[in-house]
Amino acid sequence: MGDPTTADLVRELVLRLLSSGSRPIPSINDASAAAALRYALRLLASRMSPSLIPDELSLVESIKRRLAVSGRSPAALAFADLHSKLSARAPLLNRWALLYLLNTLSLDRRRSASSPPGGLPFLPLQPASHPPRASTASGAVGAGGGGVVRVAKDPENIREIALREFADLVIADTEVTESALVRDVLYACQGIDGRYVRFDRSSDGYDLPESLKVPRHTRTIVRRLCELGWLFRKVRDYISEITVDRQFEIGTVGQAFCSALQEELSDYYKLLAVLESQSSNPIPSAGSDSGGGTGNYLSLMRLAVWFTEPMVRMRLMAVLVDCCRVLRGGAMAGAIHNRAQHGDPLVQEFMSRLLRRVCSPLFEMVRTWVLEGELDDLFAEFFIVSQPVKAESLWREGYQLQSTMLPSFISSMLAQRILRTGKSINFLRVCCEDSGWVDAATEAAAHVGATTRRGGLGYGETNALEALVIEAAKRVDRHLMNVIHNRYRFKDHCLAIKRYLLLGQGDFVQYLMDIVGPELSVPANTISSFQLAGLLETAVRASNAQYDDREILDRLKVKMMEPGDGDRGWDVFSLEYDSRVPLDTIFTALNMKRYLRIFNFLWKLKRVEHALTGLWKTMKPNCINSCIFTDESFGVKLQFVSVLRRCQVLWNEMNHFVTNFQYYIMFEVSEVSWAHFSEEMDASKDLDDLLAAHEKYLNSIVEKSLLGKKSQGILRNLFVLFDQILQFRSLADRWFERIYELQLRGKSKSRSKSKDDLSKMSLRLDGGRKDLIHLAREFLRKMSEDLSIIAKEYSTALDAFIFQLPMQQHIDLKFLSFRLDFSEYYTRVSSNK
Amino acid sequence: MEVEGSRNAKETLELAFQISNLLETGLDRHTLSLIISLLDRGVNPEPLSALIRELSSPPPHSHATSSSSAKP
Repeated sequence: MGDPTTADLVRELVLRLLSSGSRPIPSINDASAAAALRYALRLLASRMSPSLIPDELSLVESIKRRLAVSGRSPAALAFADLHSKLSARAPLLNRWALLYLLNTLSLDRRRSASSPPGGLPFLPLQPASHPPRASTASGAVGAGGGGVVRVAKDPENIREIALREFADLVIADTEVTESALVRDVLYACQGIDGRYVRFDRSSDGYDLPESLKVPRHTRTIVRRLCELGWLFRKVRDYISEITVDRQFEIGTVGQAFCSALQEELSDYYKLLAVLESQSSNPIPSAGSDSGGGTGNYLSLMRLAVWFTEPMVRMRLMAVLVDCCRVLRGGAMAGAIHNRAQHGDPLVQEFMSRLLRRVCSPLFEMVRTWVLEGELDDLFAEFFIVSQPVKAESLWREGYQLQSTMLPSFISSMLAQRILRTGKSINFLRVCCEDSGWVDAATEAAAHVGATTRRGGLGYGETNALEALVIEAAKRVDRHLMNVIHNRYRFKDHCLAIKRYLLLGQGDFVQYLMDIVGPELSVPANTISSFQLAGLLETAVRASNAQYDDREILDRLKVKMMEPGDGDRGWDVFSLEYDSRVPLDTIFTALNMKRYLRIFNFLWKLKRVEHALTGLWKTMKPNCINSCIFTDESFGVKLQFVSVLRRCQVLWNEMNHFVTNFQYYIMFEVSEVSWAHFSEEMDASKDLDDLLAAHEKYLNSIVEKSLLGKKSQGILRNLFVLFDQILQFRSLADRWFERIYELQLRGKSKSRSKSKDDLSKMSLRLDGGRKDLIHLAREFLRKMSEDLSIIAKEYSTALDAFIFQLPMQQHIDLKFLSFRLDFSEYYTRVSSNK
Repeated sequence: MEVEGSRNAKETLELAFQISNLLETGLDRHTLSLIISLLDRGVNPEPLSALIRELSSPPPHSHATSSSSAKP
């Protein structure tokens, strides 16, 4: 402050300041004025300076904001205006300093105005005694105004002394140096006991012994750091357990997991080695200068920072080890995958690296399965398991999905597709003895491209996997369908079954019925199946069936079911179609049994129809019938005609029913289902589709033919009807036999007069003409009675059947009901009752 | 030249005074001119403001004091 003008200015300012207010203007010699001046000079000489960078613009902004916030926006505008004028007018002026000063003063005034009256005395006018405090006080105020004051270094070195004292205290407090602890922690993190830090079994963790005297915070931080060691031990123990003891039990996925863990651990070892080398650098003590050239030393705190990331990783590994301990194969991969759904990019990256390794055996298995159809799964880890089965059930039971082993990143639909593709290949190989699939698979592999190489697929490339599977599935399935349709002529076989087993080939069935019928009327145990087979052959040769393929006809066989007590041939006879590998996958034993049921039902229906036709032959109004009872007995003739008429009416009723029922079976059931089936057969892309279509076909026939579970009641009724028709047939047969006999007797009697050799007999029957008429009358009366009974029974049964029909579930049965009761005759009759 | 400079200084002072009033610092024109010249000489504004604050007590209750004292 050597400049005299500055000193003068200061003096003048002090005087001016002291004179403002109420006090009189003091002279320069006044004691208080002198003291103030001294104080002023001292104050200005101090190094107190704003630590703000002199930035005028931001200061102006802050002032404007303050004015605006305190609700004086016009003032803010005026200030901005003035400031711009000032900067235009006085470019040389130290505007920032001026504004800063004015702002500080303004803030001061505001504060003092708002402070309560009777507060602290504002000005301590003993300036000489406490200058530093005053400066600090103003510094604090300065900070409020947008600046921070840097306090000058204290001359007495108080801070340094304090620090030194603190360091002494710290050293006195600890028996162990920090660097020793750091080294110990590093040891512990490799699973080795250090000099102080040891593994404590009772508390299951690393700890400093209680007896060691260390500050509490040090103990805490050591414990925290040693968590890493604990986790490391866990992971390491798991790995050694797997690789040594359970190597063969855990499977390839587990081994991959272990190797991935091992790799992570080797990264971890690298880090530890670096840290260990750093730990040899001395830790600067608290008192010495921290900026000194000791380089990369390690303190516990630094270690904590270093360990943050490895800790996260190690913790993850430990968690995985825990959750994978009991899991294997796909389940293990799935469990790890579930934990990979994490928002933290660090965790995500780590997990995907791990999963890539873990999943590679699994993906490899998928690849070989889809492209080669081989289950390369020594340890039962794959989500597809095979069972040794016969060729016919290979498709259905040979391979199964194991949902527990299915990792969640493979959707169940994809898994199904994977399963089917490999199954198709195996089916082709085992059942069809076909090797064309190899080409299909290679083609698929070539189409998908590079990812199909060995080990080319990895976790996270589910899309690539899916593409491969879809491509392979498409080609293999197409090939399989080709083989089934072209080489094994699936459709032809289906058609053959429909024609022979479902009685689609009318002339054949008719002929078979004609020639087999008499054979089947005898008790079941006396029938020779060889003879029936011969008859079948005859029937084939006699009908259009002879033009059918020999291979197909060869498969048609007679099958006799195990005869029960009192069974007739009708009950045990059936036809069988021999389905060989590979088609027995579709025509399974179960399905063939259902075909058999349908055949039996249709055969019965056919038999009833046949019986009715046969009956008509004897009963229809022809010349034989019209000649009966003509010559002898007029009374009897009339009676006979009326009974015969009633027979014909009943027959007509039965025929109506049977014809319509048969029509329904043929046209509404069999043909319609077949049409649907052949459509679906052409559209089906794989064997599963085909199986489903066939299943549907068979089901629809069973359901509509009233053979389903739900229509058992009505089926029983139907069989009652059939039985009654057959009963009517046999009764009618017997009646006509008797009629012919009576007729014969009447004739022989009239002829006996001229013939001697029968004289004996005629003698006995002499006068028997009356007897004969009586007999005929009696018989006709009995016949009429029987007829009434059977007609009544039949109409009751039919009523019940028609009544039950609308209650069936299947919609197509409505057609049958409509057909049977076209003119609503039966409804009306039953409602009249 | 001299006249020009003094006029310029006067106008500068006037502007500074207006700003001072706007910010309600309570300084009069003369004090302000002293402060400006001190600042021009490179005196640190921080201690200067502290000095002014401590010496100008008790704080004048109104604007009027400073403006009346600025009159002469």
